[in-house]
Amino acid sequence: MLRVENLHVSVEGTSIIKGLDLKIHRGEIHVIMGRNGAGKSTLANVVMGHPAYEITSGSIFFQGRPLEELAVFERARAGMFLSFQYPAVIPGVQVGTFLKKSVASVRDEPPKGRVFRKELNAAMAQLEMDKSFLSRYVNDGFSGGEKKRLEILQMLLLKPTLALLDETDSGLDIDALRIVAKGINQIAPEAGCLIITHYQRLLDHVKPHFVHAMIDGVIVKTGGPELALELEDRGYDWLDAAA
Amino acid sequence: MNYQQMAVPPRSAHLWRYTPWPRIHPTKPEELPQADSIDFTFDSFAAEPFQRNGQSADIARVFLEESGGSCHRLIIDGRGETVHIHARASGHIAVGHLDLIVKGEATILLHLSGEAGWCGIHITGQVKANSHLGFGFINELDPNTKMLRCEDWGVDRDASLESATLSVGGFNCKSDLRANLNGTGASIRQSVTAHGQGARHDDHHIEIHHLHGHTNSDLVTNAACSGSSHYVATGLLTIAEGANGSDAGQVFRNLLLSEKARAEAIPELEVLADDVSAAHGAASAPIDASQLHYLMSRGLSPEESESMIVNGFLIDAFSNLQNGELTEQMRTRLTVHLECELKR
Repeated sequence: MLRVENLHVSVEGTSIIKGLDLKIHRGEIHVIMGRNGAGKSTLANVVMGHPAYEITSGSIFFQGRPLEELAVFERARAGMFLSFQYPAVIPGVQVGTFLKKSVASVRDEPPKGRVFRKELNAAMAQLEMDKSFLSRYVNDGFSGGEKKRLEILQMLLLKPTLALLDETDSGLDIDALRIVAKGINQIAPEAGCLIITHYQRLLDHVKPHFVHAMIDGVIVKTGGPELALELEDRGYDWLDAAA
Repeated sequence: MNYQQMAVPPRSAHLWRYTPWPRIHPTKPEELPQADSIDFTFDSFAAEPFQRNGQSADIARVFLEESGGSCHRLIIDGRGETVHIHARASGHIAVGHLDLIVKGEATILLHLSGEAGWCGIHITGQVKANSHLGFGFINELDPNTKMLRCEDWGVDRDASLESATLSVGGFNCKSDLRANLNGTGASIRQSVTAHGQGARHDDHHIEIHHLHGHTNSDLVTNAACSGSSHYVATGLLTIAEGANGSDAGQVFRNLLLSEKARAEAIPELEVLADDVSAAHGAASAPIDASQLHYLMSRGLSPEESESMIVNGFLIDAFSNLQNGELTEQMRTRLTVHLECELKR
């Protein structure tokens, strides 16, 4: 589904990702862990097509298609989704309006009003979100936890085939973490998931197939869920030599 | 004061810096043409004629008074009613005066439309003690009309005025809006939303004067400018000596949607009291790239994303209002305007 080959990425002339390879298949949950500045968020952003990131060499393919052929909105329509670490605030745009337009853009056939409302109500109930969210402006005045829940709500409604989750667990309390994890588990069987995190605790609720350690722009070690425990226990210094 | 004896104000004056008097005058500054009347219709409450008092020393107000036109006074002893006033400006030069006296609670929506070559409107108003008025001014004039608008409000003790402007009509518009907070506990919340398109020029000068202590004011202007349009917002906020405990804030935001669009935002503060809170801010910028990227990452095309951001930005100016009816009415009119624009 997603194939990253020898990827090199720069931001404003500074090299961040320095030869990264990764394959994600449908139904797989991958986790990337690493220090701040290792390039984790850069990877998520470059896959989603953020204009600030420049691919200097290497390739990314999504469902066999080179990603450079697709504009950002076309990637979303093709089934890609990024849960942002810092979602943008859009003043004056109500969450309900935004969700409806977004879903209509991404799906081949926009759902009818009643069908969409039913779907929306079910997803909000699952995430324990109050209906008053819908009349608030997108991320405007939201707490950290509320922003993350809105990201997951979007993910549930957009039903992506590839979900990139950039530190979605950061700043969440235990209850919110459990709710967010439930959302991830719901889409995981039908999608490929790439979870970027600093903490093992999300993995108490979401069982990854692969855990990758990223140091200075490259994946230096890949393992199963036990690697996350080891990284949390030992830190990253022991992997520096492999970078 | 006699208009033809008045000197043309210099451009160095704060009020006339960006839209000098000769530019907004309907003919030549030395002339005083006699105007047709703006046709006012009131959907409830009967208006009565009134005599203007001739006390102003401001050239725009003197001009409007001496050029004639219609005069109506509306006295409302309200219990939360919403009053729609339709003002239609036709002919070469049309002028109208409206005097509003409000007791109790009411929401007034003034819809200004028409294809007059030049339209002048002067609104005076008094919100009586412990009364609450929501006032919406919707400028939907023909795109070729030149407009001069003056407002003078007094807000008495423990009274509140919420004033909202939707400025989408007219080609060359100048608004001079002034309010005095006349008693302790008086407050004003003011929102201005302006949409500049083509070569539209729109200038709002907004004065709020805290004459007594423990008075509050909150002003937000949001303008989105495309094409070669030009938006100007100048503010003058004064807090008089002894008006301690007053709280005032002004924010001017401009969204520049093209390389040729221009916007000026100049708030001014004059604080003579000691114990007050006064803040102001101004920003002019293009669309935020992170907002655009966020919406596109949810499947919206670049055009849909930009349109959603601009619409939201304009609507957001009304967020500081607390009068739900006024907010809803203004949002609805704005949405109608934006949908019409999309269809063009």
